[in-house]
Amino acid sequence: MNRIAPAAAPVPTLQLEDIVRTYVMGATEVQALRGVSVAIQRNEYVAIMGPSGSGKSTLMNLIGCLDRPTSGRYLLEGQPVGEMSDDELADIRNRRIGFVFQTFNLLPRTNVLHNVELPLIYAGIPRAERRERALAAIARVGLADRALHRPNELSGGQRQRVAIARALIGNPAILLADEPTGNLDSRTGADIMAMFNELHASGQTVILITHEDDIAAHAARTIRLRDGLIESDQSRAAAGARPA
Amino acid sequence: MRIGLELTEAARISWSAIQANRGRGALTTLGIIIGITAVITTMTAANGLARTFREAFSTVGADVLYVSRMPWVIVNDFWMYRNRPAVELDDSERLAEAMRGRAIVNPTVDTSLPTRYRGSTLDSTQIVGTTEKQIVVSSAVPAAGRFLMPFDVRQRRMVAVIGHEVRERLFGTVDPIGRKVYLGEHVFRVVGVMEKQGGGFLGGPNFDLQVFVPVSTFVKVFGGRSRDRSVTIAVKALSHEALPELEHEITGEMRKIRRLRPGQPENFSINRLDTLMDAYNNVMGVVLAIGLLVTGIALFVGGVGVTNVMFVSVMERTREIGIRKALGARRRGILLQFLIEGGIICLFGGLAGILLAWLITLLINATLMPASLSPGIAATAILIALAVGMLAGLAPAWKGARLDPIEALRHE
Repeated sequence: MNRIAPAAAPVPTLQLEDIVRTYVMGATEVQALRGVSVAIQRNEYVAIMGPSGSGKSTLMNLIGCLDRPTSGRYLLEGQPVGEMSDDELADIRNRRIGFVFQTFNLLPRTNVLHNVELPLIYAGIPRAERRERALAAIARVGLADRALHRPNELSGGQRQRVAIARALIGNPAILLADEPTGNLDSRTGADIMAMFNELHASGQTVILITHEDDIAAHAARTIRLRDGLIESDQSRAAAGARPA
Repeated sequence: MRIGLELTEAARISWSAIQANRGRGALTTLGIIIGITAVITTMTAANGLARTFREAFSTVGADVLYVSRMPWVIVNDFWMYRNRPAVELDDSERLAEAMRGRAIVNPTVDTSLPTRYRGSTLDSTQIVGTTEKQIVVSSAVPAAGRFLMPFDVRQRRMVAVIGHEVRERLFGTVDPIGRKVYLGEHVFRVVGVMEKQGGGFLGGPNFDLQVFVPVSTFVKVFGGRSRDRSVTIAVKALSHEALPELEHEITGEMRKIRRLRPGQPENFSINRLDTLMDAYNNVMGVVLAIGLLVTGIALFVGGVGVTNVMFVSVMERTREIGIRKALGARRRGILLQFLIEGGIICLFGGLAGILLAWLITLLINATLMPASLSPGIAATAILIALAVGMLAGLAPAWKGARLDPIEALRHE
């Protein structure tokens, strides 16, 4: 993708420049983000941490293209997405972002297969290809024998795997996970984290939003937020391979 | 490609949503069922009425002009006509003379009298004095026996040709030809029976309850000079002359016959079937408009019910909308989902409405008048139901489509 750019300056997967996000609540303005600049390269494994009220949810919504910054620039794979329309953002989410939520957010009335192939429906992929890719993604998270089950017939860990399969199916630029182990017991949580580690090892860019240190410890880089600003941004070379 | 997939997905979601809330959906359709039933019944009834009317007057003849003292349809100027002198048999003879070779002229005069055969009596039968030309001017012919002949008229014979219903109700299984029948106080001999013609619906003339006698006999025994026994002269052009021209000619001849000076208004009227048809259509138009208004209100109320339920549906599924949006559903995808849901609910309402209307139509057919539910009306009703559903779903669907994905995902 970055074939022409010199090795010294690859296009980052994600680049935030002086992002400000202000909410108007009645007469008062609340600054959730007060000027955040950060770049995340391809195949990085990043944890975004911070106490509640630090702005980490707001940042996640912005990175996930669910929201637009009040000011500042957001480049996703070099493409400015800050001023796109709702429908354009929907397309970006569909093709470039894979969400994994704390509460799984599967559609309750449909089976695993349909849940996983849903992004491909919105992408306009024909049925046969959709089926094939969805089944492959389901197999990849180890649920091949559960494809026709409904979410309420699965355990929490299995549901989160379905969500991961769904997030991966569109080959997203970013796998964006919001407290992915928050609703799981610690053993299942460890399984899910192992899965993220594995995905990262196979080349996936992963961003975790968490408030737990031992979850963040899986990541190679930790960005801490406080009061809408980046408090610290530390990388541990030992924990993961840095991009070239 | 993509819009097609979104449509199938939207239809799939709508269907499962409706399945999940069957009871609620069924209640919601109630208003639509009533509305659609009303639509179909109104249209079916209007069709039935129109057909009955057309059939009833099919024998009158669209190419015949009728000269009479009063116009057939009087809107509100009755006083303008009431002092007109009667149209006399003489007028008819003179008009026949003047139009010789160009038109057939046939006078009729009628009255209402009880008819009696042995023990059976018909309270009011329309006794029509006419000539042998009646069956040329009208298209009805005798089913048994013969019609009036020129010599009946010339010799003022006491003979009668009875209508289909008169025969059924007075004679039953007896062959009426040659039998004596009382028309009022006078005895006539039945020489013929007319074929069945229909009519008599909603107070209109019933051609099957008529009795034809020679006009000369009529004048002799029932009196023909009173203003209330004014003659109606039927004129049928021999050639395919245009009706307006024929009307113009007749007007001129009648003015001469009735000695009207130039500038004096006419003291007779020229009628045609169109006049009746127009009047009928006006009345039907008003009836239909009122029917459709009531129907429209029913459908509107039904639609509001659907809108309400759809708002609830959008509320309940806020989180699902959030998930779909996060995964890349565009606004139109969500919009379609709810529009289709409204459409399907109303489609079911429409189908149930058709079923109900069909039953009502059977009932009308058995009791009131011939009526049948045409496929065209059923198709129209389905389209209307679909349109109502989509319109009713529009506001809720738009609300759902515009939801902020973050808010929607946070919704419990």
